[in-house]
Parts: sequence; structure tokens; C-alpha cells
Amino acid sequence: MADRRDDAAHPVYLQSGVTDAADQAERKFIERLAQRDERAFNELVELYEARVFRLLLRMLGRRDEAEDMAQEVFVQIFKAVGTFRGDSKLSTWIYRVSVNLCKNRMKYLSRRHTAGEDELEPVAERAPLDEAKGVTFGDVAQPDRLVEGYQMERVLQTCISELEPDFREVLILRDVEDLSYEELSEITGLPDGTVKSRLHRARAMLKASVERKMGEKIR
Amino acid sequence: MSDPGEEELDPGDALPEPDDSLRSMLRGALREEGPAPDVLAGVQKKIRERSKGKFYADGWSTAKHPPLNTYLITSLLMLAILGISYALLSPLVGSPEPVRNQPAPVQVIPAH
Repeated sequence: MADRRDDAAHPVYLQSGVTDAADQAERKFIERLAQRDERAFNELVELYEARVFRLLLRMLGRRDEAEDMAQEVFVQIFKAVGTFRGDSKLSTWIYRVSVNLCKNRMKYLSRRHTAGEDELEPVAERAPLDEAKGVTFGDVAQPDRLVEGYQMERVLQTCISELEPDFREVLILRDVEDLSYEELSEITGLPDGTVKSRLHRARAMLKASVERKMGEKIR
Repeated sequence: MSDPGEEELDPGDALPEPDDSLRSMLRGALREEGPAPDVLAGVQKKIRERSKGKFYADGWSTAKHPPLNTYLITSLLMLAILGISYALLSPLVGSPEPVRNQPAPVQVIPAH
């Protein structure tokens, strides 16, 4: 799915619309990158910055950290692009670099106790879980539902930030970024079976954590 | 990477899709807020600094071997600046006042 998004995003692919031509264009693009062509690298940053930033923001939960990390990801890509052998899609490799750097950063932040400081205060009088389903903070038409949705979002954000980086990674890549199991396997470097098992555990942990915090079951 | 105690599912196993409500709530909680920042300038700056000007340099002041044109243009520019300065300042310079440098007449004192 992500690959289709890449194809659509790349100007050369838009013109050709043929997979072989797209692969060839990507190979040429990678060659230019390996030769440290600054214009090609600028193009790469412009193509992927939004996606990388969004992923990092979801993983880290902090905009300033995500922006700084996104810059670091592209610096590392610039340094290491010569080692990219083209075994996977360029986008998958970029995701892998992003995720690895992000996990290192999360470990560093958790050691410094800066992550997860935003403890959710116990909510004495809150709405039942099913009333908050599908309601987001953007829903301003009904103030009551808005508060419920906001409450739910805060709980989820807290629960996600409490998940271990390895679980958070697969959960976000699959359930939010919509990547395939194959892509997940390439990004994490884990066998398909382990990816599925980890994802299953991540979902169960998140669900249990949300239910524990809200004091009722998600239906 | 992989937890040694982690149970591995058969890759062919279809994993049950997650609860839709949980998934939609997850997406809602992690949705994008505001546009993504433009990171290109920051990336270029970091690369320039870490490569000590090898990459993303201005190609003029930081190049190890500036091209010949750089020297030529710099020399011509300096000559032009000197010429313009001379042309502007020369009218301000007055001509020197003539100095009479004839020897004063010598008075001969007669001997007694």
C-alpha cells in the first residue's frame, strides 16, 4: 500500500505509470543519491519529509522531538545511502532507518524520564467508553461528545506511550500507517510469524491498558 | 530485535483483524495535527556542519580548490573598486601651494 503511495508521489512514476519504468526510475534516483547528488537528495527529503515526520510524531508523541528526529533521519540517510543495496523499496528502507533511530531515541528518553511524564489524571465522572467511540477532538458540533472524545484520545495516547517501543512500532506501522506484513517484516527485520505474533500482543496490551484506565471493556 | 521467548505464529496464519472501534480510536488519537514542518533547511545545515562544508556548501568560500574564475573575478572586482575610489577621491585633492625655495640673500658683513 505504501509502495502505491510512493509511486503516486514520485513525479517520474506519475508520467510513466508502468512498474518497470518506475523501478528503473527509482534505481536511477538511488544512483544519483549514492553519488551524493544534492539536488536528488533535496528531492528525496521533499518527497518523504511529511511521512517520516508523521511516523515519528506518532512514535514519539512530541512535535519538537519528531521534527528534530526527522532531520536526523535524513542526515543518516544521506550518510548511509551508499550502502543501500536496493533489496527493498527505498520507502521501506527509509521507514527502517526512521524506526531504528526512533527506537534508540525512545530508549534514551525513557532513561532520562522525559517520556511519559504526562500522566493522565483519574477522571471521576466520565462518559462510558462506547459513547466516546469514533469521536475525535475535531468533532466540535457537540460539546459533550467532544469532551468524551478528547478524554478517550488522551487515554489512548497515554496507553500508546506506555507500550514498549517494539510493540508500539508494529502497532503504528500496521494499524495507523497501513503497511503490509511483508513491509513490517522488512522494516523490523523480523520473520513474518514474529511480526504477527508481536502485533497480536501489542493490540491485546493496548486494549487491556485502555480498559484498565477507563474501567470498562471496549465493545 | 526478537524476544527469545516470543511466540512465533505461522506466517501463513491470518491474524484476526483488530477491533474496528479500537482501530478507529487509535487513528483518531494519532491523527495528524497541523502541517508537517519543512525540514529540508535544517537537514542541509546539519549536513554542511558535519561534513565541514564538503556538502551543501556555498561552493565559493568553503571550497578547498576554488575554481580559477573565483580568483579572476575577485581580482577584477578589486581593481574596479580601486579605480572607482580613485575617480571619486581625486577631484577632492587640491594642488600643492608653490614653495619658494630660493636661498635667502646673504648679507656680507664687512671686515673692520
